[in-house]
Parts: sequence; structure tokens; C-alpha cells
Amino acid sequence: MAATSQHLELSHEERLREQHLMLDPKPRGEMNAMVMEAMHTTSWKFWVMAVLLGGIVLIGLFGAWGYLIAEGLGVAGVNRPSYWGIFLVNTVFWIGISHAGTFISAILRVFKAEFRRPFTRAAELMTTFGLVQAGFSIFMHMGRVWLAYWLFPYPNERQLWPNFHSPLSWDLLAITTYLLASTMYLFLPLIPDMAMARDRSTGWRKNAYKILALGFRGTEGEWTHLRTAMSIFAFAIIPVMFSVHTIVAWDFAAATRPGWSSTIFGPYFVVGALHSGMGAVIMVLAIVRATMKNMKYFIRPEHFDAIGKLMLIISMTWAYFFFNDYIVQWYGGDRWTKELLHWHEAGPMGWMWFLMLIVNVAIPWLVLWNKKWRSTPWVVFVVGLLINVGMYIERYIIIPISLTINRQPFTWRLYKPGIEIPLSIGTLAFFILLYMLASKFIPLVPVWEVQEGQMAHSVKKFGRETVVTVSELD
Amino acid sequence: MADQISLLAVFPDLEPAANAIDTLRSLGLSDENMNVISGVPVTEAMLGRPRQWTNVPRLALGGAGGGFLVGTFLVFTPLLYFVPVGGQPTVPGPPSVVILFELTMLGLLISTFLGVFLDSTFPSYRPMEYVPEISDGKIGILYHCPADKEEKFTKAMTALGAERVELAEEQQL
Repeated sequence: MAATSQHLELSHEERLREQHLMLDPKPRGEMNAMVMEAMHTTSWKFWVMAVLLGGIVLIGLFGAWGYLIAEGLGVAGVNRPSYWGIFLVNTVFWIGISHAGTFISAILRVFKAEFRRPFTRAAELMTTFGLVQAGFSIFMHMGRVWLAYWLFPYPNERQLWPNFHSPLSWDLLAITTYLLASTMYLFLPLIPDMAMARDRSTGWRKNAYKILALGFRGTEGEWTHLRTAMSIFAFAIIPVMFSVHTIVAWDFAAATRPGWSSTIFGPYFVVGALHSGMGAVIMVLAIVRATMKNMKYFIRPEHFDAIGKLMLIISMTWAYFFFNDYIVQWYGGDRWTKELLHWHEAGPMGWMWFLMLIVNVAIPWLVLWNKKWRSTPWVVFVVGLLINVGMYIERYIIIPISLTINRQPFTWRLYKPGIEIPLSIGTLAFFILLYMLASKFIPLVPVWEVQEGQMAHSVKKFGRETVVTVSELD
Repeated sequence: MADQISLLAVFPDLEPAANAIDTLRSLGLSDENMNVISGVPVTEAMLGRPRQWTNVPRLALGGAGGGFLVGTFLVFTPLLYFVPVGGQPTVPGPPSVVILFELTMLGLLISTFLGVFLDSTFPSYRPMEYVPEISDGKIGILYHCPADKEEKFTKAMTALGAERVELAEEQQL
């Protein structure tokens, strides 16, 4: 009897170790080798995909953009009254995607959420590459992109000076700040992994890693400076992250247009950004786990479970903000706002409004409450994909569809995108291509952070119960 | 004064490395004459080492101040090209808060980043004392001791579980 009980207890402990990466340590050298192997193993499918995406980027992004520059904004669908079309939808969408990296890396780090450790870098990469696409979309929207420098203060012949107090200038400052901050925040914890890669590479890779590792050895001083900087970054980048999407929201909310003038747009946009960002993270993790070697050890169902819970909470919060915004506008009784709300639901694009609610709210709520479903990679991949479709639609409704209805009914006209469609496909392809190529050069798993976490975790017995304990190593 | 040499003892784990530091102290070495190299951050408390000094927070604060000053310049640029608009202030308050916040944060974060470079003297591509096994989880203790006591120190480190003790030669990383 005692032997059976001991066996059961042992298997419970073994089960815990199987479930939790933090309780299943491997020697550091082995983990390093696994991550290096994942980077170096490339199948022919990878290259076919890369060439395909490269072609789409060349034609859809740079080719179409060149055409836009040569022909002018007339080839785009933006016109009266929808001056802001898909370019701005893309900008808001990609900035939203970029929020996931900071959320996972900074907020979860501050709150010491241990499950974050193996996928912080995978999420941070999304931030940087997402912001690149957002920046591209803004420049596309400018049309005459070669005059972008007009945003900067300099005395020109016509005495035209930029107004730094305009919400659009806040955007420039906020997005630039966030892009620089998130790139630096991506790079700092990467330094030890670059040193690790330097120590076990040859040829051009060794030279590249050597340059990027900056001469890091892992002395006490180097770790102290690095950890201090990462702590400062973790706290300081959170308000910057919130400010970026809040400022993007103010671009709309500061206008007195029906449907836009809302005091809740700031937090509503931030939550929406997290909603799409977390959906994108879970998609990336599912793909990385399925396609890259050894990743099943680092990314486990427990991680999908944890992110799935966060997605469920964020979906509920998004629904709360959406309804809060909706009911106040509906109750206000302003004629044009009522007209707009009716247009959203019963206009020719009304199906979008209902689809948005189904994929942003109904599906996540129906699926993610179940631990088994949210721990299954392909299930959460589909949910993440649907959420991103839903959030893209949400931005489409807020921008071109809402711009259709204004206080001058003679200008009402449905927005029909033109060159924006290949450009949107091109930016999406560019994001995926950048990520794919980076995954072959940048260790996607921060091995030192995983090892640090494994050092802090242990299994202890309290009476007959086996429990997981975490120590504070700081 | 006897000539000093640098030795690197490589330990498989944290515990023997912590004991080795105590032993080095008992053999007369001060903390300034030792350095721990590891592939994972080990805190001073784990190894019983004195607290490491870092300038990063002070540099961050300085950068925040610098960013605030740049923000102040941008906020007051309308005074350089004064265009009076009826009923509107030349330098409006609330939008100025946004500009000041963004540039202060940008200054803080850039200087924090550069602070790591300054304090760690990055980038540094000259040869340094290092062994690649450290990024495989080994703990290296780099210490400077009198040349005539090399054997005594080596024996002590080996007795405590050092996998090897060797002259710390500077090598290209």
C-alpha cells in the first residue's frame, strides 16, 4: 500500500516536471545546443516560403509603393470623406501587434510571472518588426514621402513650421520613442545570448555574433549593469507602451467627428492593442513550436494555457470598453452619431460589425474558458487568428467606415481601397519574412533567462502534497 | 612585492564557487582581486560578494533630465515663429505635457541603454580572460595572486571542486 502511494506521488512529481519547463531543467550546455540547432536547422520548405514572401514584398510592398510614389495618392482609395483609409488601419493594427512584446516582457517581468521566460524574445521581436510595418504605413499615407522631413523644426523659405502641439506630431514622438525603446529592450537581454552563440559558432556567424555580443563575458559588473538597466526598462517602457496607443487613439478622439469624440478611446485602444497583440503572440508561438527544432521542450502547453487565460481576460476587458463606448454614444442621442451607429450595424458593411463581435468576444469566451482547449496549440492558433481578423475589422470600422458618415450628407461615400490592398499584403509578408529570417539568426529563446528561472524553481513536499515553489533570486 | 599572476578556476556549480571565494579570502586575497564570470546572473548575495556598483540609474536620471530639456525646447518652439491665433495660447499646457513626457522617457531609456555600454566598457573587442565553457553554465573565478603562491592557490581551488585552474590568458573572444 505504501509502495503504491509512493509510486503515485512520484508520478505526480514527474507529471509536474513534464508540464512545467521551470521544473524540467537540462544542463545549460544542452539547452544552448538545442537553441543553436533550432537556428541552424533549415528545411527546403523554409527557403521556398522565404522566396515566396520575398517576391510578395518586392511586388506588393516596394513595387506598389514605387507606383504610389510615381502616380500619387490618386491610385489609393482615400478620398473625400474617407481621407484616412487602410494606411491608417494598418498603422493602428501594427502598433497594436507591437504591444504584445512589451506586455509580455515588461509587465510580466515586473509581476514576476515565471511562465513568460521562454517566449519573451519571441514576443519582443514582434514589437520591433510590427513597429517597422506601422512606420512604413505612415510613410505610405504621406504620399509625398520625400517631404517627411517637413515634420522637423527648421526655418524654411515659406516660414512653415511644424506644430509640435498637434496630435499628429505626438504620434511621431510616441512611435519613435517606442520603436527606439523596444529595440533597445530587445537588444539588452540578447547580449548574453549573442555571447553564447559567439562561443559556439564559426565563420561569418561567429564574426557577426562577436560584434553583437560587444565583448560580453558575464562578469559580475556586466550582469549588474545589464540587470539594473533591464529593471529600469521594464518599469519605464510600460507607460511608454500605454502612451503610444493612447496617443494614436487621441488622433481620433481629439477630433469632433461623430463616433470618434470619446473620452474612453485611449484605454479602449490600449486594450484592443493587447487583444490583437496577444493573439499574434500565441500564433507565433504555435508556429515556432511546430516548425522549429527542439522548441517543444521550451514552449509547452502550460504556456498556451497561461497566454490563453490572459487572452480571455483581455477579451472581456475589450468587450467592456467597447460596450462602454457604444452605450454612451448611443444614449447621447446626437443625430449624426445615431446615423453612424446605424450605418455600422445596418449599412452595407454591417456584416463586419457583427463579425467583429463574434470573433473578438463570442469565440474567445466560448473556447478559452476550457483549459484543455486553451492548452492545445492549434486551437489557440485559430482563436488568435480570428481575434486578429476581428481587431483589423474593428480598426476598419473606426477609420474608413466611420469617416463615411459626417455632418455633410452630400459628401457621404463608401471607401473602396485601391493600391492599399497590395501594400497591406506586402507589409504582412514583410513582417513574416523579417521574423522568419531573424529566427535563423537570433536565439528565439533567452536561454540564460530560462536557466535563471529553473534555478529558482523547485518541488517541495508539504505533508503528503507535492507543490511547486519559487524563490526570489534577486 | 612579488609578481602578480591571474588565474582562472572553473567550477561546475554555484556552491563550490561560493566556497572558493571564501577560501580565497582566507588565503589573503581581497575582493578587489577576484571576479566571478558566469553564464547566468548570480547575485552578490549568492556568492557572498560585496555589492557591485553601477552608474546606470544615475545616468538614466541624467538622460531623463536631458530629454526633458529637449522637450522643453520643442514645447516653446512656437515662440520662435510666433503666430497669434485668436483664443488660443501660443504654448498650450496639456499638449506640452505629452511632448515633455515622451522626450523625458526617450532620454531616460536611451541613457539607460548607453549606461550599460559606458559602465561595462562595451563594445570591447580586445582579447580578454575567458573560457567558452562559461556560457555552458560553468562558473569561472578570475583572481590575481602572488606568482610564488600559485601552487598553493591552485591546490586550494582544486580541493574545492574546480574542474581546472589555469593561467588566465587573454584570448580573442
